[in-house]
Amino acid sequence: MPNTDMTQASGVLGAFLRDWRQNIIYIGFIVIFVVFALTLNDRGFLNPTNLLNIVRQTAMIAVMAIAMTFVLSAGEIDLSVGAVAGLASVTVAMTIAVAGPFAGILAGLATGIAIGTFNGWLTTKIGIPSFLTTLAMMGIAKGIAMWISGTSAVPILSQSYAWWFGGGSIGPIPVVLFWILAFGAVGHVVLRRTGFGRRVLATGGGEQAAGYSGINTAKIKFRVLVISSTAAAFAGMLYAGRLQSGRFQLGEGDELSVIAAAVLGGTSLFGGKGTVIGTIVGALMIGLINNGLILMGLEFSQQLIARGGIIILAVALSQKKA
Amino acid sequence: MSTVAVRMTGISKNFGGVKALENVTFEVLAGEVHALLGGNGAGKSTILKVLNGVHVPSAGAIEVVGVPLTIHTPEASRAAGIAMNYQEMSLIPTLTVAQNVFLTREAKSRGLIDDKEAEREAAKLFAMLGVDVNPRAIVGDLGAGQKQLTEIVKAISQNARILVLDEPSTALAVSDVNRLFTFLRNLKKQGVAIIYVSHRMDEIARIADRATILRDGKHVITADICDLPIDTMIEHIVGKRSLGLADVERSDAVRGDVGLELRNVSGRNKPDNISLTIHKGEVVGLAGLLGSGRTSLAKLVAGVEPVVSGEIRINGRPVHFRRPSDAIAAGVALVPEARATQGIIAAHSVSDNLTLAALDNISKAGFVITAKARAATDAQIERLSIKTASRDHAVSTLSGGNQQKVVIGKWLAVDPDVLVLDEPTAGIDIGSKSEIIGLVRELAASGKAILMISSELSELLTACDRIVVMADGRAYDDFPRAALDAPAEANTDITHRLQAAEQRLQIAIQEALAAGQEISHAQH
Repeated sequence: MPNTDMTQASGVLGAFLRDWRQNIIYIGFIVIFVVFALTLNDRGFLNPTNLLNIVRQTAMIAVMAIAMTFVLSAGEIDLSVGAVAGLASVTVAMTIAVAGPFAGILAGLATGIAIGTFNGWLTTKIGIPSFLTTLAMMGIAKGIAMWISGTSAVPILSQSYAWWFGGGSIGPIPVVLFWILAFGAVGHVVLRRTGFGRRVLATGGGEQAAGYSGINTAKIKFRVLVISSTAAAFAGMLYAGRLQSGRFQLGEGDELSVIAAAVLGGTSLFGGKGTVIGTIVGALMIGLINNGLILMGLEFSQQLIARGGIIILAVALSQKKA
Repeated sequence: MSTVAVRMTGISKNFGGVKALENVTFEVLAGEVHALLGGNGAGKSTILKVLNGVHVPSAGAIEVVGVPLTIHTPEASRAAGIAMNYQEMSLIPTLTVAQNVFLTREAKSRGLIDDKEAEREAAKLFAMLGVDVNPRAIVGDLGAGQKQLTEIVKAISQNARILVLDEPSTALAVSDVNRLFTFLRNLKKQGVAIIYVSHRMDEIARIADRATILRDGKHVITADICDLPIDTMIEHIVGKRSLGLADVERSDAVRGDVGLELRNVSGRNKPDNISLTIHKGEVVGLAGLLGSGRTSLAKLVAGVEPVVSGEIRINGRPVHFRRPSDAIAAGVALVPEARATQGIIAAHSVSDNLTLAALDNISKAGFVITAKARAATDAQIERLSIKTASRDHAVSTLSGGNQQKVVIGKWLAVDPDVLVLDEPTAGIDIGSKSEIIGLVRELAASGKAILMISSELSELLTACDRIVVMADGRAYDDFPRAALDAPAEANTDITHRLQAAEQRLQIAIQEALAAGQEISHAQH
């Protein structure tokens, strides 16, 4: 039948187009990298130190964005990540000062788990949409951080803590690169190859259908929100280690970069679709753009405009045409 | 004597004040195909949802293979061995076919999900059914028939002891239905109990061993299929309802000029070559089952979907609608099937909803003139006797019947010549139903041409001057209302006459269905 041939032909073409749109992040990353390499080479863009700096600056965004991939895939959102990172940097620094690095790490993670539990409880038990829950939590976390630190920086004197979390390097390779790889590998396998990951994608892809299939969607949403806050707290610990202090301003505004990284990478804001590898590349791309724009000598105001424009362009290109 | 697979005793279920099920007893044996029959609102889907744990029964007990089922959740029912297809509702559009089939029961290798293995297993199941569905396709990209097959395969892949199939054949081709039946007979031999819900009596007669019929939430009869010829089944399904509809006075329409005319109209998929004429002052009903193309026809007339071939004429003039606003401008109004999502804006006030379609009439220079809006609203509330606390109350606070009146009132405000009503009484209590039908008659009398779709045949028989029977996108019969009243019964009471006419119409629908299947069979 002639009909079948046509369907097949358009199927192959359609698949190619879909793939092209789906893979825009990788194509875009390479294009931007090549453009910067050609135009900014005389300003040291390709210098290994500069490239590793991009990794250093992107690590926190990447860690939070990997967790955000789960939240978005489940059809929820977490706006509180930046503020939670700031709060965790403060609790880590204050705890290290009185009880040492090990207790500090526990305190930082506990901060994330506690806030995530609260977010999850409000969202799944009380029924407040996560957009509102986490928007409110953004203010609460920042307020607590300002209050307990008296709005001043809390220094971290432990060198070993600083080495492990954000500051150290092995030869030329920054330790944070290993953290990105570790979070990325675990995140990718969990989302793609475990029952939990599949339930997350199912919850975001069709909540009612997932429920009818025997998935406890409230539990899944609760868990992704806890994961997100805990990852945000970990990112706060990396900030604290890199700057050897805890401050409430750390991570401020990161939620936008984090969500942008995930969406750039191909994760759907409407749930059901997510990729951890895409998210990491998305985060690196944001770091790349920031770095390139600074090397170009643009003012901060111009950087903001250029960055916004590039992100809109990339996301627009990745949209599937109806 | 085979063992009892499911025994539901004294099941009742109330939703608010509405009794959806009243003391129903339902028993299915291992190794039988048991048909569950009933009209709309008879309680079929409610009892199935109780069985598979979506609803908690208000009273009664469930036993599965002799073990009482005390926890009522989908998980517990599944653990007890009950699997069900949900008419596409349990599929995740963003996952692949294989991922959907094995959702929450994924194949694992070394603790990690093995999608390749799932794809192989799914391919085996599809091959066993002899149907062609790509396990790697994304479900959202599939057509309705393929989704349906995926649902069925998902249900049978669970190796369940009790398999519930709710209208499994609606989107299937005849050949696929035959394969499904072969497969079900195999399952039967393995001792699986199969509960089969369908509106297609010919299918029931072919596949089922026994049947249980529900009506108005009550158990009517359970019997061997050989003791239930199709007309007896229909008699039990229709029953002798406490109608209330019978109160609506029927009078012959005064036919004016032609209001709506369809000449060999076809849509993208359905309908197929429909010709139909509705005069002003006339109500024409469309009867048929789900998937017969009734709603598609309504959408063509209202400009929601494009006409592929043929011609639509309004008041004698040919029209070409590209979008609904074109149809509205030409004087066509559609009261859509899904009231909650397509008809009303629930959170907005009665007044805002009633004036939404006619905003231009009550505004000046873009500003809505409050006094005019009030006057227009009050006029409609009065005319349709909408029961609302005030014109400023949210529509969501109204009863279903009054919400529907708001939808109708919204369109009356633009004074259409042609009114299309798709399931205007769905989810409305019986009192409001007869009120709405009375309203439809009144509107026709005021000179409008009305096309009405309803799955409740008694309503069509009460409201319509003519009834067109559809199946598979085609029109089969065009009965004047009087032709369904047998002359011999002219003197019996109206309830009885309505019931007899309903049975005749039911039989006509089943005949059209069989004829439609022969045509599509010949085409394959």
